[in-house]
Amino acid sequence: MSLNNLIKNWTSFRARRPYLDQYKNADYKWAMVIDLDACTGCNACTTACYAENNLPVVGKERFEKGHAMHWMRIERYWGEGESVPVDMVPDKGAQFLPMMCQQCEAAPCEVVCPVGATHHSADGLNTQVYNRCVGSRYCSANCPYKVRYFNWWQYADFAWPNPLELQLNPDVSVRSKGVMEKCTFCVQRLRESMDHAKTDGRLVRDGEVTTACAQACPTSAITFGNLANPQSQVAKVWKNQQIALEKDEQKKDENMRGYRIFEEFRTYPSVVYLERVRDLEA
Amino acid sequence: MSQMINHDIPDDHEIQIEKKFIPKDLDIDKDISWARINKDVLRSLDRPRPIFWVIFFAALALFSFGVYCEKYQYDNGLGVADLNNPQVWGLYIATFIFWIGMGHSGTLLSALLHIIHADWRKPIYRYAEAMTTFSLLTAALFVLIHLGRVWQFYYVVAYPNERWVWPNFSSPLVWDATAIGTYLTSSLLFLYTGMVPDLAICRDNATGARKKLYTFLSLGWQGTDRQWSTFRVTYMTLACFLMPLAVSVHSIVSTDFAVSQNPGWHITSFPPYFVAGALYSGCAVIITLFILLRYVFRFEAYMTMPILNKLIKMTFAIAMVWNYLNLIEYSTVWYGDNMIAKQQLLDKMTGTYAPVFWGMVFCSTVMPFTLLIRFVRTHLPTLMVVSLILNFGMWLERVQIITPTFGHSQYPWTWTSGWWPSWVQFGIVAGSFGWFTMLFMLYCKIFPTISMYEVKEMVHDQGKMLKAKKVA
Amino acid sequence: MATEKKMGVDRRDFLKVLGISGAAATLAGCGNTSIESGAEKVQAYVQPEDFVVPGNSVFYASTCTQCPSHCGVMGRVREGRVLKLEGNPNSTISKGKICGLGQASVQIQYNPDRLTTPMVRNGDSLVPATWDQAMTVIKQGLGKDSVISGEEIVFLTGTTSGHQKVLINNFLNNFNSNNHIAYDALSNHVGETVRENVYGYSNPVQKIKDAKLIISFGNDFLGSGLSPVYMATQYAHFRKAPRGTLVQIEPRMTLTGGNADRWYPIRPGTEGIFALGLANALVQHPEYDKAIPDEVKQALQAYDKRTVGEITGINPDAITHLVGMMWERTPTLILSGATAEGQKQGYQNAYAIELLNVILGNVGKTITAPTENPFPQMNPTNATYQALVNLNEQLSAKKVKACLIMGVNPIYTEPTFVGIAKNLKQVPLKVAMVTQLDETAELCDVVLPLLSPVEDFGTYVAEYQPEGVEIGIQQPLMEKLHPHTKSFGDVLLTLLKERDPKNYSHYPDYYSYIREAVIKSKPVFKSSMTDDDFWDSTLMNGVLHIPVKESEIKEVKINIADLPKAEKAPADVNYPFYFVPSIKADLRDGRHANLPWLQESPDPMTTVVWDSWVEINPKTAEEMQIREGDVLEVQSSMGSVTAQAYLFPGIQPNTVSIPFGQGHTSYGRYATNRGVNPFKLINPITDEKTGELALFATKVQIKKTGDNKKIVKDEGPTTLQQGRKLVVTMAADKAELSKEV
Repeated sequence: MSLNNLIKNWTSFRARRPYLDQYKNADYKWAMVIDLDACTGCNACTTACYAENNLPVVGKERFEKGHAMHWMRIERYWGEGESVPVDMVPDKGAQFLPMMCQQCEAAPCEVVCPVGATHHSADGLNTQVYNRCVGSRYCSANCPYKVRYFNWWQYADFAWPNPLELQLNPDVSVRSKGVMEKCTFCVQRLRESMDHAKTDGRLVRDGEVTTACAQACPTSAITFGNLANPQSQVAKVWKNQQIALEKDEQKKDENMRGYRIFEEFRTYPSVVYLERVRDLEA
Repeated sequence: MSQMINHDIPDDHEIQIEKKFIPKDLDIDKDISWARINKDVLRSLDRPRPIFWVIFFAALALFSFGVYCEKYQYDNGLGVADLNNPQVWGLYIATFIFWIGMGHSGTLLSALLHIIHADWRKPIYRYAEAMTTFSLLTAALFVLIHLGRVWQFYYVVAYPNERWVWPNFSSPLVWDATAIGTYLTSSLLFLYTGMVPDLAICRDNATGARKKLYTFLSLGWQGTDRQWSTFRVTYMTLACFLMPLAVSVHSIVSTDFAVSQNPGWHITSFPPYFVAGALYSGCAVIITLFILLRYVFRFEAYMTMPILNKLIKMTFAIAMVWNYLNLIEYSTVWYGDNMIAKQQLLDKMTGTYAPVFWGMVFCSTVMPFTLLIRFVRTHLPTLMVVSLILNFGMWLERVQIITPTFGHSQYPWTWTSGWWPSWVQFGIVAGSFGWFTMLFMLYCKIFPTISMYEVKEMVHDQGKMLKAKKVA
Repeated sequence: MATEKKMGVDRRDFLKVLGISGAAATLAGCGNTSIESGAEKVQAYVQPEDFVVPGNSVFYASTCTQCPSHCGVMGRVREGRVLKLEGNPNSTISKGKICGLGQASVQIQYNPDRLTTPMVRNGDSLVPATWDQAMTVIKQGLGKDSVISGEEIVFLTGTTSGHQKVLINNFLNNFNSNNHIAYDALSNHVGETVRENVYGYSNPVQKIKDAKLIISFGNDFLGSGLSPVYMATQYAHFRKAPRGTLVQIEPRMTLTGGNADRWYPIRPGTEGIFALGLANALVQHPEYDKAIPDEVKQALQAYDKRTVGEITGINPDAITHLVGMMWERTPTLILSGATAEGQKQGYQNAYAIELLNVILGNVGKTITAPTENPFPQMNPTNATYQALVNLNEQLSAKKVKACLIMGVNPIYTEPTFVGIAKNLKQVPLKVAMVTQLDETAELCDVVLPLLSPVEDFGTYVAEYQPEGVEIGIQQPLMEKLHPHTKSFGDVLLTLLKERDPKNYSHYPDYYSYIREAVIKSKPVFKSSMTDDDFWDSTLMNGVLHIPVKESEIKEVKINIADLPKAEKAPADVNYPFYFVPSIKADLRDGRHANLPWLQESPDPMTTVVWDSWVEINPKTAEEMQIREGDVLEVQSSMGSVTAQAYLFPGIQPNTVSIPFGQGHTSYGRYATNRGVNPFKLINPITDEKTGELALFATKVQIKKTGDNKKIVKDEGPTTLQQGRKLVVTMAADKAELSKEV
């Protein structure tokens, strides 16, 4: 981005995402579907995330202070409203919600980062460049989902006492204190498979690569794939659920379960949740 | 240390002046001789009351503690501040806004009142401008302190580099950095420009190292007609430039919040609200410093009660504007259709941080009404306390903008209750007050805090005005 | 050469440059000026290990040993290190999936508190020793000249299967003993006995996937059940169109309860009575009339709705409602679980619950016979609590001269009244084989450091075999990390070789033992491969699979005497609360508390981490003026513990709960002195029929200590969605799952 380039093509540097058929001619647009009726809240995905992405175990004292680094967290709610009676019996079970970075197409975090450390990649990921991050935490402040995690400490100093550090995934950097991090859709896996595909002169096939959480999930509640490929399972579910990436309000049949969280904030998330189903007659 | 030499006017004269009755419609005694003005002001560079050193060293101690806290935080990470997800900013950003806000009244007093020829600004504008400069410097510190990787702070600046990596110009933080940078430079320039004729006076009265300093800084000022006329034009131009700039700076700071979608921040009236808040806190600090300097540097003849009274009137007016805008903010949320923002507003008033909110209401909404009482306006120790309470209220206001919003955001899972900053945060905040006071006191000791040439003009004008009245 | 030198870089240097190029970029800025500098940080791959390509991951199949479900796993190995486990798609149990507990296996391997050298007792303490020293001590008791035999030797383990079990039995046979004692603190022996008696199979296949209505009495099949990953995969199918309905009846909401369409809190111990209430209502329908003998039907009449409602604390209308559903939605599946079985009338409870399956005609539909294992000697041992009692009797009779312990920690898991610690101390030779020192190992005379599950060979047969029989093959995913650790098989073979060279001297090591055993099984799999190929392909697949062989459950027996009595338990003034400890899917009986990932993984229902807590119903808490974080003293007649209160709506109002797994006194940095151990509260109540410990039958009183500490959890101050559309719920009749892709 030279100055001349900036002056000449300034319109192309404006964030104008998303728009209709934005990824029509693109090779990749990574997206996800989480079926809340299949999700049991078992935490297998979160542990997989710790293993894959070198997430530090912060310990009880730091967890208490709110310094946990779980990129993916399972939330458990007891109700939709603002209050419940004290003798409420959760007779319809609990409400589990796996929540991680929604890889928004118009991400509130991206516009506010002063140094452009978080920005959108060509394949539709909301990336975080650790080397560039200065740690203003504005992105976290502006994230409606609060799924960004800051390195409050130099976790590498204590989170992996020898020889636990041998478990660290060499494809993922261990973050230093003072930088922001978050779910990357396992970008290291995506990168590897895209490189392999490129070597073979093809595109990544559906199912060839998946995120650690999706791979672990015992109920296969998480589907991950390339939305730009209409044959991929993810694209099929998005289409079937009548979710359009570029819309902030979906016009879909009543009995379709797909929705995106906080669409009204016009963040255009890349994660579609499928509504939890309960047999109300039971 | 080198001495200022002109001490030939007897000291007992000051007692007479202090006791002398100043006519109601005058801001300053018309009979002060020009030599006396020089002497009184120059003396402040030399022999302040001993309390000066008490304040200075107390500030130094506070600052040192702040430095210690910052070092501790730098070494260990921001975790020591007990910041967390979602309370990512805590007192640092709240105090940052507080200092930025404080930096507004100097310009208002100086530039605006200069443009509209309100002469009563003349004895007090200099220190107000200095305060602006130093509070901006302090605010800039917080931008650095709160960064996770402060050693990489220059990424925020658009500096030339071989990879053509730019900061993100759509980020309000970059606007902030630019606005604050511009404002700091301009106000420093404004302060300095207005000081040049006085520096020349200092030069003429100083010896030793100080002489060299003033000689260098006074840029060869001789007081020729040509110099005066150029000076007037430059000064007026700067004043005209600074007025909109000051308004824009705090408007931009407010966009840090207003452009985000967080409940309690996403409010259209934030820019004027922030500007009003800035002026409010700035005026309150000017009152505080007025009383302080008047005592420490024996400026009773110049920082007179009529001027103080005008200052108080202005503060009260701005307080009312701020309250009005505050009310507008709440009522737009209340009558609006945003359930989340409404929940947040209710939580602000009734939740864990309700004491902060109601503390702000008491300090910043109720307290200004005490300024209507004559005793409060005339009894300086009481006024000092009131002005400090107003300041504290404005600090609370910034805290209650930041903390309850994070604690009660869109996302209920990450709500916090009872979040409390660690001693490191308080230490750094206290240290910033030390840093500011230290710099300010140092400034007062080195540079004339009262504009000598303008006070002379003022005394002259007052005499003329009185004469004109008598003739009439 | 000379000319090359002149150019400044010779060929060898050039190769080195290639090697350090990655590091060079970073080192260049650190004052490294020559090619040589930084070379010590570079690993040479002139002669790489087999399959080690720097930067490339290799996946090896193995079997998870974290719980008895023995999922097939794949280990990701890079540069000779195992980094992560995934599910093995070849496995019929895991189907390529994995749970959090399984993932954490790698933290056993890399645990900073792992035992890396043998320890030998010296007075009151254990001191590090060499293998020679340790084996000398062992051989004094169990060597060539040992006269120990029969009941004088004890091999105490948890559930074991496969060749571990075979080898242990061979080892004991060598001493003319069959004293292999399998102890499991959380055994499901009661339910297995009932199912054995009713269906003839202790673990019949429960086809969750095929059921349209599941009524589960405390069976946490998604969390801490017998085969959670497999069950979860089946649950996913169960929830697909046409969607099945799950009803969970239990005193404390388990993870499965949290996923139920309808959850009923029930007074602990009365599950069987409720089941019989359902049975009674059910047999009123003509269709179910003939399912059971008349005498049973008559006996059922005592369980009318009103009585059942009174005893169980469930609204009698629920019976009508549930029976209506059972009538409409077939096939059904009724499951009994830990909280129903771990009672004084546990056997009867489970019996009554299985009776429902019989009445509903589920046998043969959703409950089918498992495939028979052609290698019965590899079938898992039936680990019980009773085993511990037997062992304690043997110990207190001072008959035992040598005791080998592996895979269990009885000192931690035993209830206070058993008192095995004292008796164990009297045994002259106690050998513990562990990967990390625990409470039991600390009592032993010799502690041997074992290979971790990702370094060892082994074969495993899961207790629950849903699709055919799967023999899981465990193979090392990496070279051993600590040079002085050994496989338990090698230890036993060393001793056996000395005592019985004829039969064992041809096994150089445990690997060859396993290899030979696997190759010997080749005919069963009708493989035409060579031995080597068969072995290689077995390792590659990670499993040996015997396909489903349909067999019918021939006979269903119902014994009227085994039905629970419709009696209300008398109120206990001193101990008014039921104590239903919860089994966490990851910590289980506490053996996994040393794994930091699991400690930091929030409990799914409460989101508490790193600690123990007392779950109490918010209503009860309000009455007792207990707030969250109040430190409560929970006291049973056996002892008391203190932990913070957590207000949990998913618990019956008269019940309190503390999770198992914490409260270790010596188990490495992550587990030691963390939380409390609810095993120490358990009252000496056993199931009347099987003698198994009634883990959920204890009654306690709770007292406030006056302290309040912030409870460490992920959840914030609200547990509600506050009007946001976060988890949206759709009524089942509105959703059109069949239209989904």
